[in-house]
Amino acid sequence: MSTDYGHDLLFGTFVTPTNHPAHQAVEQAVVADEAGLDLVTFQDHPYVAKFHDTWTLMAYAAARTSRVRLAANVHNLPLRPPAVLARAAASLDLLSGGRVELGLGAGGFWDGVGAMGGPRRTPGESIEALDEAIQIIRGIWDTESRGGVSVRGRHYDVHGARRGPAPAHPIGIWVGAYKPRILRLVGRAADGWLPSLAYLQGGVSDLTEMNRRIDDAAEAAGRRPTDVRRLLNIGGRFAAQRGGFLQGPPAQWAEELAEVALTYGTSGFVLASDDTTTTQTFAAEVAPAVRELVAAARAS
Amino acid sequence: MPSYGHTLRFGVEVRAPAAAPGVVVEAAVLAEQLGADLVLLPEGEDEGGLDAWSLATWTAGRTTTAHVGATRLDPLARPASTLARAAASLQLLSGERALLSLAAGEDPRRLVAAEETVAVLRAMQDTSQPRAPLRGTHQHLDGAEPGPALDREVPVWLHGSHEKAAALAGRVADGWMVDLAELSDERDQAQELARLTAALDSAATGAGRDPREVRRAAVLRADDPLDTDGLVALAVDHGISVLVLPVDGAAGLTARDRYLLERIAPTVRERVEDALPPGTLTDRPVRRADVRARRRPGIAYDEVPESLAGATVEPGDSAFARVRSTYLRGGDPGLVLRPGTVGEVVEAVGFARSHRHLPLGIRSGGHGISGRSTNDGGLVIDVGRLDDITVLDEAARLVRIGPGARWRDVATALQPHGWALSSGDYGGVGVGGLATAGGIGFLGRAHGLTIDHVRAVEMVLADGSLVRASATEHPELFWAVRGAGANFGIAVAFEFQVDQVGDVGWAQLAFQVDDAAAYLQAFGRVVAATPRRTTPFLILSRGVAHVMAMVDSSDPDEIVADLQPFAEIAPLVQQQVVVAPYAAVMNMFPESPHAGRGEPVSRSVLVREITPAFAAASADLIASGAAHWYQIRSVGGAVADVPADATAFAHRDAGFSLTVMGADAGRVDRWFDRVRAHAQGLYLSFESDPDPARVVEAFPPATLERLRRLKAELDPDNLFRDNFPIVHHGTRSAS
Ligand SMILES: Cc1cc2nc3c(=O)[nH]c(=O)nc-3n(C[C@H](O)[C@H](O)[C@H](O)COP(=O)(O)OP(=O)(O)OC[C@H]3O[C@@H](n4cnc5c(N)ncnc54)[C@H](O)[C@@H]3O)c2cc1C
Repeated sequence: MSTDYGHDLLFGTFVTPTNHPAHQAVEQAVVADEAGLDLVTFQDHPYVAKFHDTWTLMAYAAARTSRVRLAANVHNLPLRPPAVLARAAASLDLLSGGRVELGLGAGGFWDGVGAMGGPRRTPGESIEALDEAIQIIRGIWDTESRGGVSVRGRHYDVHGARRGPAPAHPIGIWVGAYKPRILRLVGRAADGWLPSLAYLQGGVSDLTEMNRRIDDAAEAAGRRPTDVRRLLNIGGRFAAQRGGFLQGPPAQWAEELAEVALTYGTSGFVLASDDTTTTQTFAAEVAPAVRELVAAARAS
Repeated sequence: MPSYGHTLRFGVEVRAPAAAPGVVVEAAVLAEQLGADLVLLPEGEDEGGLDAWSLATWTAGRTTTAHVGATRLDPLARPASTLARAAASLQLLSGERALLSLAAGEDPRRLVAAEETVAVLRAMQDTSQPRAPLRGTHQHLDGAEPGPALDREVPVWLHGSHEKAAALAGRVADGWMVDLAELSDERDQAQELARLTAALDSAATGAGRDPREVRRAAVLRADDPLDTDGLVALAVDHGISVLVLPVDGAAGLTARDRYLLERIAPTVRERVEDALPPGTLTDRPVRRADVRARRRPGIAYDEVPESLAGATVEPGDSAFARVRSTYLRGGDPGLVLRPGTVGEVVEAVGFARSHRHLPLGIRSGGHGISGRSTNDGGLVIDVGRLDDITVLDEAARLVRIGPGARWRDVATALQPHGWALSSGDYGGVGVGGLATAGGIGFLGRAHGLTIDHVRAVEMVLADGSLVRASATEHPELFWAVRGAGANFGIAVAFEFQVDQVGDVGWAQLAFQVDDAAAYLQAFGRVVAATPRRTTPFLILSRGVAHVMAMVDSSDPDEIVADLQPFAEIAPLVQQQVVVAPYAAVMNMFPESPHAGRGEPVSRSVLVREITPAFAAASADLIASGAAHWYQIRSVGGAVADVPADATAFAHRDAGFSLTVMGADAGRVDRWFDRVRAHAQGLYLSFESDPDPARVVEAFPPATLERLRRLKAELDPDNLFRDNFPIVHHGTRSAS
């Protein structure tokens, strides 16, 4: 079986936003940039004191890099008011020449969110809030439409908010999601899907069923399944000896990732790495090899 | 009329339309080049402006010296808790150039939200307080983890050209921003300003604050004629200390903007200084009342020399959490001075002299085993910022190193030259403490102690004089510093002759040990027969021994030949042997902030050999469970090549150094006294017992007498006494 949503492949890293040493995460972004990766991403946990504020880290890293795209992986929505986030994303996109994508999550770690003064939401509420937030964000970015943005939701009540700025490029809204209801939201409203392999109980094969839910929801909403890019957070270790999944030499990684790309239509691989050598190896020896294998298979 | 003592600063506030992001950033960068002290990016009310925070952060990434601030932030728009983390990140990433200013508009909701936001920002920066909930109308905290601990808090300003904003700033903020264009009438500006500042001052005083805690910033009118007299008057008559030029970001810096920054600013600065009594204006930080409230008795906080004032840490400061304790010991000093130059060290010593009644700790890397580089209620002089590493003479392998450098950084800097300097087993240890005491390290048998490589040392003495000691200059001090340096002054630079060291063999072996005494004796025998290029350390616990050994050779045959006899002592359960640079071994553990708690309990002895009686007493100690750490380091070799009277570290005949650590001093000593019975001296860097008897064990009689003679000459008041004082605590030394 094979799936292909037709997107070009993206390779990136998933960097711990540690604030000690203060510039470590920025340096890792620079490493990704110089290594030629497409993407560098950071998790967003504002309730953790040893992490940087992810938005500030991204903006600073963006100023220190020149080609790589940046995204949160993924933003904690309950602590990031959508209108502010939308304007911030558009602004940074303008400043960076179109290098920003918007990773969004419904939230989690509710004790941490509550401690920071944020709302505690049930899973259902958090998806509802995400839905409303995406509407607000798209509304702010849409400077073509007339009048202010109004989304009178249960969680956000925006009434006639001014629009703008419009981003430099169509920023992708990539959502971290696993359960059926939020996957339906992804299919209906998102531009990308960003799950972590570590959270898939059945491993990569879980992607089939989840993809199907997104596809169905997309079609039901009058969109195409290809409107939603499929990304995947991965972890692994380079080793001389072949071992388990992503435990071995770069060539093994390339085969395995190409297989995932061709089987499940995954077109973005985001590797958890805080290590320069690992990032460089991924960029130099894995990414091009996967691209080649996938291109060859797509051509045949 | 008022001056609040703040030096005058100039800034720009660049309005940032989304249409021209490149022009906005260019204007900000250029303003910095033209001398602007602050570059401010406002949150736009207008359609489609750029997000101030993103823009300020981006600008911080593109500038190097100016303070960068996001201004006019709507306190209703975002959770203050998240803003606090964002501010901390900007502060860390920008190198302490962050600033934020909240819009305290006339709308009462905004005023309330601004006040609540300031409270949340303060609570989030205060890592010393319990996580009290804060419940406001708009902003809440409910047990959030405060932090990160910053060296310098991010100044929080309030912006509002009306009395309520001024008064609120007086009560809670670090600064107040007023738009001159918003004052009712240009002609009445002076009167209006006077009224607002008076409101600010009285609100500050009413809240128990010092009005100087609040900096005053004025945004000039866009059409201000920029007459020098008017600007001088703002500063001199109204105490405005930040003059902010509004810049239209779509147009970039105009000729007029440049003219202000380049020409007018210096003139105004000069004239303001002339107009005020000399010494009125300082960069001395004005601490908030709540910070001053945590000061300790007996310290003349307001008399800290000007040059040091910006680099001191008091108990109420946000940086305190990071400097109060050392690696192993919890502390609560009253004041930490952090000089950044030798001149500042001299000033710090002068300040310490006038506080002779308080404990004084000298700190370089904060890794002292006894932890005396912190204290309770006293002073600490921390020379961690003096951390330069410079090669002086490539051919002679002469390297100058500041006391604040860590051995990890030294190793990393020397590696590209093919050099190494034996230090210890842990890369985080500081140069200052170790190089004034000994330095028993992994290259010890091959190359000697760290102090054996010192060719010169520069030291600030108790009387504030700076002396250079070497074989030919102040030779007696040179002798003393190498083993008992902490008694004589603060070392501010060392010159070392380092060794040519290629890759080394690095082994980590683990053994199953059924009979600790027998194992120890066998270990001692094998070490005695091992070539001096190899230096093994042993950590023994119940049932297990870990041997770590460095071979100064990259030849696998030599490495294996030296290690093989160790592998035969007992059943080997784990082994890892690599050939690696010395620097790789020093970099095994990353740095983390010091967070020691309680009192360390560490005991040291030096022995010539591992005798059956010493081994038996050791085995009993290990079996007792009173100690959680029992480590033997081999010494001898090159260490023993140096005559006993060549340095104040005199126990040159020692074959082994033992360190024992436990939690309870009484319990440890019950067992350790039996081990100590077999000792021939101790190494003070591994000892924490304050009993003066330990000093006598650290220094043989002739050494101690010679040290005391020099002490009486150089430090008769016993200023330097934090760690193993050679004369008794508090007393003047006999002369
Ligand atoms: C994990 C660990 C591993 C260690 N390993 C080794 C080892 O392998 N070999 C070894 O020999 N030692 C070792 N030590 C001990 C270490 O060398 C000493 O504790 C040393 O004093 C630490 O230096 P510091 O600058 O980091 O300490 P600090 O705590 O800053 O200072 C300790 C003391 O040194 C004195 N001092 C500090 N700076 C100066 C200065 N500039 N001028 C004059 N006196 C000063 C003061 O009396 C101060 O109290 C180790 C310690 C630790 C915690």
